[in-house]
Amino acid sequence: MTASTLEPSPVQAPVGGPLTWVRSRLFPNLRSSILTVLLTPLLAYALYRAVLFFFVNGRWDVVTRNLTLFMQGTYPRDQQWRIVTQIIVLAFAFGVGAATSAASQVDAAREAGLPVVKQGFLSVLKRFWSVIAFVLLLLYFANTATPWLVMGGAIAAFALGSLARFIPRRFRSVGWTLSVLALVAAFQVVAGTVGYSWMITAVVLAAGAWSAFKFEGVEGRRAVVYRGLAAVAAAVVTYLVYMQLVFPGVGWDHWSGLHLTLWVSAFAIVLSFPLGLILALARRSSFPVLRWLATGYIELIRGVPLITLLFMGQYILGFMLPQGTDPSSITRAITAMALFTAAYVAEIVRGGLQSIPHGQTEAALALGLPTGKMMRMIILPQALRAVIPALVGQFISIFKDSSLLEIIAIDEFLGVRSLVHAQADFRVVAHAETLVFVAIGYWAFAYAMSRESQRLEVRLRAGRK
Amino acid sequence: MTTPEPSTSRPPLWRDVRVLRVAGQVAAVVVVFLILQWLIGNLVTNYGRLNISFDFGFLNQPTQFQIANHPQFNPRSPVWRMVLVGVKNTALAGVFGIALAGVLGLIIGIGRLSQNWLAAKLSAAYVEFFRNIPPLVVIVFFAFAVFLYGPLPNLRQAIEIPLFGTGRTALILSNAEWGVPGMRSTGNLLAFGVSALVAVVAAAVVWRWRTRLNERSGEPHHRVLWSLGVLLAILVVSYVALGGPLVIDWPQLSENRRRIASGFSINSGFMSVAGALGLYTASHVAEIIRGSILAVPWGQTEASFALALTNFQRYRFVVLPQAMRIAVPPLINQALNLIKNTSLAAAVGYAEITTLTQTSIGNGRPAVQSVVILMVVYLGFSLLVSLILNIVNRRLQLVTR
Amino acid sequence: MQRKLLALLTVLAVMAVACTTGDPSADTVPATDTGTETTPAETTPDTGDTETTGTTEPAVLPQDEGGILAAVQDRGQVRCGVNDVLPGFGIVDENGEYSGFDIDFCRAVAAGVLGDPEAVEFVPLTAEARFTALQGGEIDVLIRNTTWTATRDGQEGATFLHTTFYDGQGMMVPASTGFTTLEDLADATICVLQGTTTELNLTAVFNARGIPFNPMTHADNETLQPAYESGQCEAWTSDVSQLTAFKASIEEAGGEEQYIMAEVFSKEPLGPAVPDGDSAWAQAVDWSVLATITAWEFGLTSENIGSYDGDDPNILNFLGADGFDPGLGLDPEFNVRIIESVGNYQEIFERHLAPIGLELEGSPNDLWTNGGLMYSPPYR
Repeated sequence: MTASTLEPSPVQAPVGGPLTWVRSRLFPNLRSSILTVLLTPLLAYALYRAVLFFFVNGRWDVVTRNLTLFMQGTYPRDQQWRIVTQIIVLAFAFGVGAATSAASQVDAAREAGLPVVKQGFLSVLKRFWSVIAFVLLLLYFANTATPWLVMGGAIAAFALGSLARFIPRRFRSVGWTLSVLALVAAFQVVAGTVGYSWMITAVVLAAGAWSAFKFEGVEGRRAVVYRGLAAVAAAVVTYLVYMQLVFPGVGWDHWSGLHLTLWVSAFAIVLSFPLGLILALARRSSFPVLRWLATGYIELIRGVPLITLLFMGQYILGFMLPQGTDPSSITRAITAMALFTAAYVAEIVRGGLQSIPHGQTEAALALGLPTGKMMRMIILPQALRAVIPALVGQFISIFKDSSLLEIIAIDEFLGVRSLVHAQADFRVVAHAETLVFVAIGYWAFAYAMSRESQRLEVRLRAGRK
Repeated sequence: MTTPEPSTSRPPLWRDVRVLRVAGQVAAVVVVFLILQWLIGNLVTNYGRLNISFDFGFLNQPTQFQIANHPQFNPRSPVWRMVLVGVKNTALAGVFGIALAGVLGLIIGIGRLSQNWLAAKLSAAYVEFFRNIPPLVVIVFFAFAVFLYGPLPNLRQAIEIPLFGTGRTALILSNAEWGVPGMRSTGNLLAFGVSALVAVVAAAVVWRWRTRLNERSGEPHHRVLWSLGVLLAILVVSYVALGGPLVIDWPQLSENRRRIASGFSINSGFMSVAGALGLYTASHVAEIIRGSILAVPWGQTEASFALALTNFQRYRFVVLPQAMRIAVPPLINQALNLIKNTSLAAAVGYAEITTLTQTSIGNGRPAVQSVVILMVVYLGFSLLVSLILNIVNRRLQLVTR
Repeated sequence: MQRKLLALLTVLAVMAVACTTGDPSADTVPATDTGTETTPAETTPDTGDTETTGTTEPAVLPQDEGGILAAVQDRGQVRCGVNDVLPGFGIVDENGEYSGFDIDFCRAVAAGVLGDPEAVEFVPLTAEARFTALQGGEIDVLIRNTTWTATRDGQEGATFLHTTFYDGQGMMVPASTGFTTLEDLADATICVLQGTTTELNLTAVFNARGIPFNPMTHADNETLQPAYESGQCEAWTSDVSQLTAFKASIEEAGGEEQYIMAEVFSKEPLGPAVPDGDSAWAQAVDWSVLATITAWEFGLTSENIGSYDGDDPNILNFLGADGFDPGLGLDPEFNVRIIESVGNYQEIFERHLAPIGLELEGSPNDLWTNGGLMYSPPYR
């Protein structure tokens, strides 16, 4: 008897092209079809109105003529070279930072035995497409050659910075230090080196020296002493250098526009992070007094809107300091925003700390690690990695909340609209166009940040077993 | 084998952990206290120099300005009345905003998981759009799009939608104010209120009775029908008995067509704030709900497919109850955020507490006390909302062993 | 448990001790390396009958020692509080440059005190924050279309100087409505800017006449103007100078014709203000501003001031010829520098306020010899 072999039927490629897709996605059943039928005309109408607004009726000369005002506000025009230099140095800093982080990821993947995924240029474009599109929009509105030159310079600087991926592993921290240093230098170019700015650079260089010189051959306490000496030496050198080069700049009291928005957000984020960390640790501390103080602060700040803290800074802080020390509006605003964000960061970090299984702490104690080492080497790295997406979400929030500075007459990106509409030509027209432009600007940056945070979330989750 | 003697000498003071703990806390308190004292001392000195007082006596002085859309507010009323008006307006905007955000967020969150490609993509676009622009921009955008450059006429040429058959107007639409039907009392209001209270209590009692009956005997309880029946019966009887204490007040424009003289008027500032914040917060709510629905174990959905539940039944009885449990804490956060975001209403002229505080500071009221009152108001709201929603949260939590 | 008790008791003890001996004066000596370079010196308390709660000497103020004038000269810059969104008075153009009537007076002060009209730092302020900025020392002089009132002189710690612009509050309606008096606006919605005396005046006038109304307050003109044009409010109340500017803009952009009611229902004398307690600084600013009016009276303009060759002793004194110095602490030729850089009052007016539709002749801002109110004391 011949056995009938059961031949598996050949796999059929899915039949039908677009029509099948339309049928299955848009009209699978009655209810869905009704939905489609209702939504399509609405969508078409909205698109039609949008096209009319953007391409036909819109008075976009308001943006073209005031583009510099939107970007840098009332920054003195003869000092514009500082902002140009700053953009190029920032591009370099981002290039170095991106290259160093990519290289560290590759190393970590190699060590863990995971496949190494190279980040192509196209994938970077895809990640930051909203920011790139916004920059292209700005270039479209620009009516001088300067923005194009700045773009070219920035791209070149970024490419130069990404050469940092060839730094050997031993000196990887040099890459990070270089990146942070370039960031600080960008700030100094615009703000000048007078005053207290040497301290910022000194701290950064000291930290860089501490992490760069590991003195692995030397044992125990002596290594710490040597590293400390290296850090102090770096700080002293910085101080001496700064005292020599007196480079006046334009203090941040004179900044406005998108430039100010970005820097204020950056400062608020950077300043809030250590404070938030300290508050989170204090809230979980075993000292009851510290716990109460931290909890009181966090609950107070989280219960009030940011605008009340800005009012406090605006109306009250000046009186709380002795006469003669009058911090500018922007200093006060940044202080208020940093204090506000610190409370939220503290809550997020606390959540992260709580999510660490208690076994980790017990194991660390069993190994005899003192609390400081335990926190630094075991608990905090895990906790922070777990909450990076939530932290990025909070940072997006503070970036958007910088628009509140408009209410206290600081002309950041949204507030420049008031300046534009006080001009004779635009007093009564083009209100909607400026609003849409500002909205697009905020959206571009916030969207890019939120996509990064989602990517990080996926990557961190995938990394865990 | 001799065990070593435990050492009985204490370590030196500077290394003794117990002493350090106490000393550390004392030092922390002293430092904080000194800082506060320095700050407040300066404040007191500087205020003294300028002859500005610290007390709250300004609360009894007349407000001196008229509050928008509150014709019954007398500008000579004391400032504390203005504060109450501000608190009421904040609460109103908050409540309606939260309601709108909840409903819209639920629809969009579920829509994002829909099979219909258009619905899914539009929901995703909605969320990505509104989540990434500042709430202030949304509020001004909404005011521009709906009221200022929108299709509605101004009040003098308002659209009056008539009520069929009668000569009355059902709805008045304009770009400054909307008129909707309200209620007007014709006497015996207190008695009606008491009877309403009685009706609610009776309905609750009937609910419990029917639930207990069901638990004991297994009969279907129909408790909703029973309670509603009892509620309506008592209300109708008392309504008729008291001779109709409440009547519908149809909206009507005044003689000079400048304001809405009867009915209930909603002003555009309120609608801008509540609507815009509802739209904005709905995007966050949609994300939270989507995340919580996805967090419900897939086995639940598979089981409901196996039981041949319809989509609606699956959501209503299986997925959403479990999802809500996960979603309530972040939703509490969003509700609080919405209430705090109503402080941005100065951009559209809605007279909630922050706008009124700004106006009064601009007119010479002491800034410190005004800002302190403002912060206390928002802390009060935060506390209240947290309390209410925490009760809800606790009811929803699983009882774990 | 015992430890916690010990901690608590210590804390309470410390607080008790601190509360009973609280002495903030020990902590209020200003640091010397911030902002103004003033040496911390012991000073006499400022306004006599202040009741400072708690103890102690008031903090050290620039106006108490050497004064704001010295501080400004040391710093080399005048910090001027201004408006940056008010047509005609203080706006920012597309190049980020400040210009306007008040801005020019800031430059006049800088020219007078420091010799350089560009040595100004413009600090834009909201209506609510302007007096706290002045009191707190964030600005040296406030030239921000601020009305001189008794409360501001007294409670808000400001000293007002010579009025530079006599304004009033008015009401604007679309011409097609045919409204001409305030009574026509019974029950109307009226747009007004928040936090200014405009709101108070509106309420006061309408209540006094028994006219009900509904105010619609906006945070700034940029949301108010669309509300007015879309008909959300039927009338717009503000200073007449502002209404004139917006009337011109609306009509030029092709909008409806506007009508500003003839009735002006409050006095709004706008002028510069300085902090209380420093007469030397107040006088320096005052005479810098007055220089523009005096020059106008003498017929001196930015063009011809360099070439005066007459004998009028009043004019010669004004020009600082023969070293005449009234002892204001300023350079003897400060008037010349002011007029050279910003011109006289008429030039400043024509440059900024004529383009927004305001007339100098026949208005209260005209020179006293033409029937107006601009009258400067003799410079001798």
